Amino acid sequence: MRAAAPVVPAGPSDADLVRRVLSGEVEAYAGLVARYRDRFGRFATQMLGNREDAEEALQDAFVRGYKALARCEEPDRFGSWLFRILVNRCRTHGAKRARRERTIVLDEIALQGAGVDGDVEAAAWREAIEWALAKLDDGQREAFLLKYVEELSYDEMAEMTGVGVSALKMRVKRACDRLRVMLREVERV
Amino acid sequence: MQWAVGAAFIVVASVAGAQDARLRDRLDSSTAARVGAIIDSARFAGLPTRPLTSKALEGASKGAPGPRIVAAVSRLAGELRSAREVLGPASESELDAAASALILGVRRADLVAVRSARSGERLTVPLAVLADLVAYGVPPEAATQAVVRLAEGNGEDEALLDFRRDVERDIALGAPPAAAAAVRLNSAGLAETAARAGTDVQTGGPPRPRKP
Amino acid sequence: MSDDELIERAAQELRRPVRMDPAVDARVMATVHVLPRHRAERARGWWAWLTQARTVRVSPLGALAAAAAVLVATVVIVPRLSPDAASEQLAATTDPVALTQAAAASSVDSAHVVQFVFVAPTARSVSLVGDFNNWEMDATPLEAGPARSVWTVKLLLPNGRHRYAFVVDDSTWAADPGAPPAAGDDFGMPSSVVTVTGSSS
Repeated sequence: MRAAAPVVPAGPSDADLVRRVLSGEVEAYAGLVARYRDRFGRFATQMLGNREDAEEALQDAFVRGYKALARCEEPDRFGSWLFRILVNRCRTHGAKRARRERTIVLDEIALQGAGVDGDVEAAAWREAIEWALAKLDDGQREAFLLKYVEELSYDEMAEMTGVGVSALKMRVKRACDRLRVMLREVERV
Repeated sequence: MQWAVGAAFIVVASVAGAQDARLRDRLDSSTAARVGAIIDSARFAGLPTRPLTSKALEGASKGAPGPRIVAAVSRLAGELRSAREVLGPASESELDAAASALILGVRRADLVAVRSARSGERLTVPLAVLADLVAYGVPPEAATQAVVRLAEGNGEDEALLDFRRDVERDIALGAPPAAAAAVRLNSAGLAETAARAGTDVQTGGPPRPRKP
Repeated sequence: MSDDELIERAAQELRRPVRMDPAVDARVMATVHVLPRHRAERARGWWAWLTQARTVRVSPLGALAAAAAVLVATVVIVPRLSPDAASEQLAATTDPVALTQAAAASSVDSAHVVQFVFVAPTARSVSLVGDFNNWEMDATPLEAGPARSVWTVKLLLPNGRHRYAFVVDDSTWAADPGAPPAAGDDFGMPSSVVTVTGSSS
């Protein structure tokens, strides 16, 4: 999704698959779903804090993407187009997820570490990052993930979120400031 | 009154006859006769017979030898009987779910605990979730504890089904079954504890690094 | 470690690949399949679509990806339908047992439409066999999508537990990897169980 370094997917291109879906070949959409499921799932999980909400937002985004596919003006940039839908879905799901406790994230990390022999420190570091990320407000978390994890440019982030570049830079700075404080605090514990 | 009893007898006999026909068509005569006897005995005891017929037909479709089919149907009839002894009057789906749980190693005392947690309400979903968790490899004691706590706490079928789905997903992603159930239950338990204590779990301190 | 290094170290950790549940794909495709198709096929009508021969080209990597998705299946319980919609769905099925059960059901509240989905790109046929059709091998065939990789069928099932399995090419029994395994003797061939209730399961 980085404009500066486009990734050429293995197999048929996004544009090929989009054209096939638009000509009635529903099955071709499965190829797009498989291609982007894990990458988009990473953002959704980190944004929403738990797998269940992430899967729900992810499935919602894919289904909306299918419905609106005729409006994808640049099929070769299907990934970016769909990612914008996912970002919006995460915002909507985030507003609804008050009932889900953040501790689920920590437990999920503990779960993933259960099968890793001996790498306690790495699991603890991961747990600390997830905890700190969860502490950010939604706008700061979103901006941090888009900038540092998805590695988008500020112009791309603005196009994706509808937020101005200046505001995005401020959100990223505040997110980094808060994360630094929290992660330093963890180091001292 | 007499004609009503007679009509009921004819209906029951017709149903039984239809079931017998399916078994006669799909099983050898000896197996069909032995399975039919088990089913008749169950019907006489007031137990649901549809699960027993289905088990026999499943065996037939899978090409299982007659003695194995008879053993499977006999065992299921025994578990249905045990389930009814524990649950008392219950629907076919409740007895079926309870029987599945017993076959998987859940104790009768565990079924009693689930029944008590949902006193007076439908038991199909709690018993089904219990059986499914054990089928996924969660130890029966842990599965029972989880179902009882969820049934007592929230009580909604949807919460139980959500819990099962979460555990299923975690196991599919590689988590040990017991750990998956414990983690999901702890998550639910933490939320309850926080709500009761009036504290905000989210503003807790940073996680402490685990000791190696 | 400097502040920038600390942030970069955290970001590196967050950039690590994440593995999502592959069942997401099946759930998305199950939903997408019931939506209207795009453009040309809708204009020509479903009969023309059904009878048109198709050639699907899949790259070796695409074929590997599809093969890796084999046996990914899910059971989708469709929300309770209105009586008219339920009748319409029922008319779409040819399963005699489902028809009989629907007739016996006192109201649509005691039965729900269940969609079974099975991914098998190399299969010639897939059947659904279970308690609801007397375990008859050819009673409930699944329908393949155009690329013949995703197979689906919908049944109206009464509330309760139902054991079932898929049979591929009339010979290979397969459990539903997205459903709990059925208890009891499966006679050496796997079976699954679905619980149909008023809630989705």
